[in-house]
Amino acid sequence: MIATVQVPFIRGGAEAHAEGLRNALCAAGHEAEIVAVPFKWYPPEKILDHMLACRLLDLTEVAGTPVDLLIGLRFPAYLIPHPNKVIWILHQHRTAYELWDHALGDLITWPHGAQVRDAIRQADRQLIPQARAVFANSRNVADRLKKFCYIEAAPLYHPPPHAEEFYCAEAEDYFFFPSRLCLPKRQSLVVEALARTRQPVRVVFAGAADHASIRKELSSLAAKLKVQKRVQWLDRVTEKEKRRLYAHALAVVYPPLDEDYGYVTLEAMLSSKAALTCADSGGPLEFVRDGETGLVAAATPESLAAAMDELWKDREGARRMGEAGRAAYEGMNISWSHVVDRLLA
Amino acid sequence: MKLNWFSPLPPAGTDIAQFTLRVLPALRRALGGGAVTVWTDQDKWDEKQLAGVDVRRYRSGAVPWMEINKADLSVFNIGNNAQFHGAIWQISRQHPGLIILHDTHLHHLFYHLYVEQWQDAKEYLRQIAKYYGEAGRRDAARRMHNVAQEVYYLSEQYPLTPLALENSLGALVHSPVAFDLLRRARRWPLAYAPLPFPAAPLLEAPGSLERFSSGPPFQLILFGYIGRNRQLGAILQALAEFEEREQFRLHIYGELTDQEHWAAQIRELGLRRLVQLRGFVPEAKLDAALSAAHLAINLRYPTMGEASGSQLRIWSHALPSLVSETGWLATLPAAAVAFVRPSNEVADLQAHFRDFLSDPQRFQQIGEQGRRVLLEQHAPDVYARALIECAQMAERFRPQLIARQMAERAGTKLASMLKVNTPDMAASKVGCEIRELLISANTGD
Repeated sequence: MIATVQVPFIRGGAEAHAEGLRNALCAAGHEAEIVAVPFKWYPPEKILDHMLACRLLDLTEVAGTPVDLLIGLRFPAYLIPHPNKVIWILHQHRTAYELWDHALGDLITWPHGAQVRDAIRQADRQLIPQARAVFANSRNVADRLKKFCYIEAAPLYHPPPHAEEFYCAEAEDYFFFPSRLCLPKRQSLVVEALARTRQPVRVVFAGAADHASIRKELSSLAAKLKVQKRVQWLDRVTEKEKRRLYAHALAVVYPPLDEDYGYVTLEAMLSSKAALTCADSGGPLEFVRDGETGLVAAATPESLAAAMDELWKDREGARRMGEAGRAAYEGMNISWSHVVDRLLA
Repeated sequence: MKLNWFSPLPPAGTDIAQFTLRVLPALRRALGGGAVTVWTDQDKWDEKQLAGVDVRRYRSGAVPWMEINKADLSVFNIGNNAQFHGAIWQISRQHPGLIILHDTHLHHLFYHLYVEQWQDAKEYLRQIAKYYGEAGRRDAARRMHNVAQEVYYLSEQYPLTPLALENSLGALVHSPVAFDLLRRARRWPLAYAPLPFPAAPLLEAPGSLERFSSGPPFQLILFGYIGRNRQLGAILQALAEFEEREQFRLHIYGELTDQEHWAAQIRELGLRRLVQLRGFVPEAKLDAALSAAHLAINLRYPTMGEASGSQLRIWSHALPSLVSETGWLATLPAAAVAFVRPSNEVADLQAHFRDFLSDPQRFQQIGEQGRRVLLEQHAPDVYARALIECAQMAERFRPQLIARQMAERAGTKLASMLKVNTPDMAASKVGCEIRELLISANTGD
């Protein structure tokens, strides 16, 4: 049984992750099912209600058939009790941890935010170690768990969905930035960087907005900075179209804030494209080797603009980095069969 | 540790503003200067007295929670005056923290807020019913229409103190009496620390030592917020009927409720020459008056229960004092004060006046003993250390408070779902899971 949470109508990497794991378990001859608990995080006491709801669920057996293993992926679903539980943490409730005192933090803006923060931390510290084994989605997630909860976890990488279908084609004149439009992904940083480039850099953004207002704000920002003709907003695209956009991109730009893992970096590598990220981007830094498989810029519009200019001018360099990225991916043993072996060991 | 400190600030006319001035330097020394942020809803505060202190403003309805949440804990000073403490209590209700209780009977605060400020007598009575049952609600409903006469009865019967603490992480009180009173509830971490007061060097208070070598008339002093419980009527009567009243002069400093009534009373009793109403004066002027006085009168009956900063100020001047034998005052060492029995004020005051005239040196020794108590038990640095320990205790209580609130929420849902008050099995399961979620097995918290 795979335990995760679902924010209704929001679909991102976490959902693909759970589905990928289920498919891999089935492919390995197991019966596997996803149990997704709906999740709402405001007002903050709702978080506590969801934590309690998870603790009250019984997934030890179904109609007399025992559930041999529970794999917990996301907070608070990974708190669901089970005598044989493995936790593979995608991420904790981040606004109770590294995003608590951060511009993106929302928990801190509530009167009783500190209470709920402490309750989340207490529950994580108390209950995560009850699992038979604890894995993290990435080194970044493992480091946070160690830093805030003093719990060791082994990083366990997995491939992005349809990894085998990514390909490389002749580069065209654009950077590709596929992601949901939301503050943590920092599309606005890229728009601001565009205004500072010296080359006629273009960026194609693909991904649905978390809120309609975000899309409007980004369009307004592009207009204000007079770069609207150098950006393209494609909103949601099909997986096939996404792979085509990767394949023809000059490079991939992906500067999120402290990303947990980040499929985009891996997809860039699978498409043999250089990845441009930032020094505070978290997960992508586990894969992008600066100057070899991509570039790592400071998280400022100026630094990001300089890196974009560099790749725009040096097409051959960009191509070489892309190829090096693909080779690096091949050498990392990132596969579902490896994941299944580790989780079931 | 970083603390938020919510308190009235000078020039607000409350001793709790002065309390903050007394505590802050010691607290900042113990925690580091930048570790205390003072919050106020006052438009103005005395910037000179608060120089170097990080003072920030908040407004009800636009509270900067993000900034407030950056501290480890918020400390709320709660007393009875709604003007000074109403907004602080409202913040504390939403944002659990450590409450410093300056009164243990807070009925005045809540009566003023609910009935007078918000015009919501129904909610006021609902709160009474919540803590004191239906009989309490009916009793209060009957008496609240004559509140001028009944307010002390209501305060005594229905102090409503738990309402001030219901969302708190702990309470700090300033008297053993208050500690015993609240300990019975067993709902919050509770600590007692004697009210702090930095003793002024006596040399800086000219006259303190020599005052008893000066002869009659002897100077009596009464100061602070003079409400009904300060027994001014009894004091005036005792003086008026005292055969050697010419040996005394009474100086009254501070805010009087119904000043015209008291001025008339003084005239009627023929005390105009002996009694002076001096009004609210600057602190330095009051200190000079205390240094020059021979005997202070600090009656508080009925009492609001908590320690009196005024008493510490009296001791700071090595000034002997007559105090009500009730509440915190009754716990003071007999060698450091002279007691006046509640409801027996006139006779006891006159007895003390006679004793004073026959042996002023004995009263001098009482004043000096009071100052020794102050120096030994009320040093601000000792208080600051106790407060920090209490704050750490309050921080550790957070999971329990959350657990209790979750249990109450779950209990309410279960009761409404199952239509019974004690859905035992389900409630027990929920309780176990809440405990498992939030209460550390290692600490046994």
